[in-house]
Amino acid sequence: MDRRSALRSGSPGVQPSRVQPSRVQPSRVQPSRRAFLAGTALALATAACGRSSPVGAASPAGATATMRIGAIPDQDPEVLQRLHGTVAESLSAALDLDVTYSPVTDYAAAVSLFRTGDLDLVWFGGLTGVQARLQAPGAQPIAQRDIDESFHSVFVVNAATGLAASDDLRPLAGLRFTYGSETSTSGRLMPAYFLQQAGVDPQGFPGGPGFSGSHDATIALVASGTYQAGVLNEQVWTSRSAEGSVDPAVVQYARTPGYHDYHWLLGPQAPPRFGGDVAERLTGYFTGLSADDPGDAAVLELFGAGSFVPARASDYDQIEEIGRSLGLVS
Amino acid sequence: MTAVAARPVSPVLRRDRRRWGWGLAALVAVGWSLLAAVDGEVVNPAGSVQFGRFAAAALSPALDGAFLGVLGTAALVTVAYAVLGTVLALVLGAAGAVLVARTTWGRRRLGWAAARGVLAVPRGLHEAVWGLLLVNVLGLDPWVGVLAIGLPYGAVTAKVFADLLDEVPRGPYEALLAQGSGRTAAALYGLVPQAAGGLLSYAFYRLECAVRSAVVLGLIGAGGLGYQLSLSFASLRWPEVWTAVYALALLCLAADVAGRAVRRRVAAPRRGADVLSRDRVLTAAVAAALAGVVWSWWFLALSPASLVSARAREQAGYVLGAAWPPAADGDLLREVVRQSVVTVQTSVLAIAVATAGAVLVAGVAARPAGRSARGRRVAGSLLRAALLLVRAVPAPVWALVLLFVLLPGVLPGALALGVYTLGVLGRLAAEAVEEADARPRTALAALGARPSGGWLYGVAPQAAGPALAFALYRWEVVVRDTLLVGLLGAGGLGALLASRLAAFDWAAVTTVLLATVALTLAVDLVSDRARRALR
Repeated sequence: MDRRSALRSGSPGVQPSRVQPSRVQPSRVQPSRRAFLAGTALALATAACGRSSPVGAASPAGATATMRIGAIPDQDPEVLQRLHGTVAESLSAALDLDVTYSPVTDYAAAVSLFRTGDLDLVWFGGLTGVQARLQAPGAQPIAQRDIDESFHSVFVVNAATGLAASDDLRPLAGLRFTYGSETSTSGRLMPAYFLQQAGVDPQGFPGGPGFSGSHDATIALVASGTYQAGVLNEQVWTSRSAEGSVDPAVVQYARTPGYHDYHWLLGPQAPPRFGGDVAERLTGYFTGLSADDPGDAAVLELFGAGSFVPARASDYDQIEEIGRSLGLVS
Repeated sequence: MTAVAARPVSPVLRRDRRRWGWGLAALVAVGWSLLAAVDGEVVNPAGSVQFGRFAAAALSPALDGAFLGVLGTAALVTVAYAVLGTVLALVLGAAGAVLVARTTWGRRRLGWAAARGVLAVPRGLHEAVWGLLLVNVLGLDPWVGVLAIGLPYGAVTAKVFADLLDEVPRGPYEALLAQGSGRTAAALYGLVPQAAGGLLSYAFYRLECAVRSAVVLGLIGAGGLGYQLSLSFASLRWPEVWTAVYALALLCLAADVAGRAVRRRVAAPRRGADVLSRDRVLTAAVAAALAGVVWSWWFLALSPASLVSARAREQAGYVLGAAWPPAADGDLLREVVRQSVVTVQTSVLAIAVATAGAVLVAGVAARPAGRSARGRRVAGSLLRAALLLVRAVPAPVWALVLLFVLLPGVLPGALALGVYTLGVLGRLAAEAVEEADARPRTALAALGARPSGGWLYGVAPQAAGPALAFALYRWEVVVRDTLLVGLLGAGGLGALLASRLAAFDWAAVTTVLLATVALTLAVDLVSDRARRALR
């Protein structure tokens, strides 16, 4: 009976006195193995204490208030994400708060993290901002850039199409066409709306529209001729043209009317954590950034802004309506 | 994977009708997919400039100190994810193996089939999908990366472990049962020790795969090398992309070399005087793995509490509430069916391209058994390095750069997956060639056959079986990977899923995911049948 129960219980837990030394490895091994396992368990249980994760674990609620900020990946995401210290430090100094920047590479993930409360303050595009406000009731727009009050997209075509610049979008209908990212406001939503207004089915291009994934990929794909036309953020187009990095095969075809785009959005959980006036303080900080101050100028340059101005929820009503009609807001 | 390679070598002198049937079916499937992919013009020669920029940057990777520092930290995150994800997969796999082994169920086939069916759900979802779903529940927690690798891998591991346990000789197990021992004890002492070698080999093989999966997770924002890669990829900064690819290739190489050393040691145990003494290499490997786990846990600062926190429960409730019941409107279902067909065509083409490529490179990529000319060895090393790089470039990157030179449609996506899979399959096929019996070829050479004849009649027939079996295994993986390349005009369930996720239409997401799981299961069944015909 003794032997049977010893077999059942498995070697690590067996009492050394019950094991016959002739059949098993020397019994002195066993206590050390057990000690090793216990030590490992203890080390694992305590290892995480007092260390913050390199991938941005959420700090427990009620701990010292750290404001977590993030940004959707849009223009030059690698510059923004790798130089995020600039924004976090500037914000931290101005508001006397601990500020950490959390990296995000996916539009939908940024919205989800805002909903879960992992991010307190996020730099959203027009559409992602609307999605985030609908999923996190009580969120408030804080500030937008001077250029976001009237933001534009440009339609570009491959020179081989022979199309000359025009305001008429209808000739694009017969071309292979690519948008940027699916939930990009400037690379998808507003261009689709203006196409619809011009009588072009925004999903009806030959073979269906492509989604290049980024503004730079749109330029490259139109340059290659794989797609004959595409649409992107005017800011990226202007900056790439100024750098001279645009292939001469890509030419501007049309420029959309203006619309509201990017803005900073504050989560509903922030006021209780950082004080009821945190929204005003943040708006004050952003609108107070001045290009004359070298520290402020670095932040403004990172966002490609001349200055920041206040933003209102009603600025994005049109985007919400268009998002609903295109099935991107539910 | 070892289960496939260990196929008994028995000469079959008559033609096997089932094999002919499967071969014909494969030809029809490839032809049908090819017709769908190639209607009208497909090549876009004007894009060779853009493709050239990508290719040329391979020779001038970004090497500035700041970027290398960023990549160094990112590589550590990737390693930590891979190690912990693998360990979680092994723990889940060991527990799951008990649930799905035939030994457990005995004659109760229905229960066994049901248990296998349950495993198909975690297995049918891509790691990136797991990652996106987990972000919605756990937020920015390192557990997202660990679980996104550990859960699907755990399901695969459970299946493989169960097969390994079921396949070992049952004498000792039955002897223990006959002596009155309990079933658990009999399995622990009668089955596990015999299967231990196979289990250990497979564990290290999983680690290699986990490194590549950790990079895919980075693409959705979980940090690590893939995250840096996707940032640079979004702005098409090819020199930075290549640096990240090289870093990834080095990690894969390290995991590959370590895994190979362990596998070789397990396959051919050291012959020493004392049979009972431990093998130092294996002991060191296990100790290093344990140390790696402790370090990864500390580095990622994992906290078990966040898994059961009130917030996680609340968010899980939110997502489940929004995602159930699945959407079932006619338009969506028709679209699901249409895109499933595209996904199947993409995967069939991809695996066909990969298999054909693997057959072409296997001979040269295999390490020659005996002495060989210097040129042959150099060519072999170069080809193996090329295969390593080809599989280190993530599939979405292949999809974009191939789209420069091909017109939109199924073909660029299929070729992207095909090229990526060729990197994996080429290596496996080369290993099958290395393991082939050298005697037939030697005999043919002694009789005066040319090297090509020796290869065609001495090596190829032996290596073909295992290589095809690997290809069929990978087919299932390719079906899941189509999710990564769908967006760029290629379509398929991946594009549909991405568009529904972007609109936060959770009910439709559930429908598409269910379709994906069903498709994976169907492909698994077909490939299992085909593999059986190959045995």
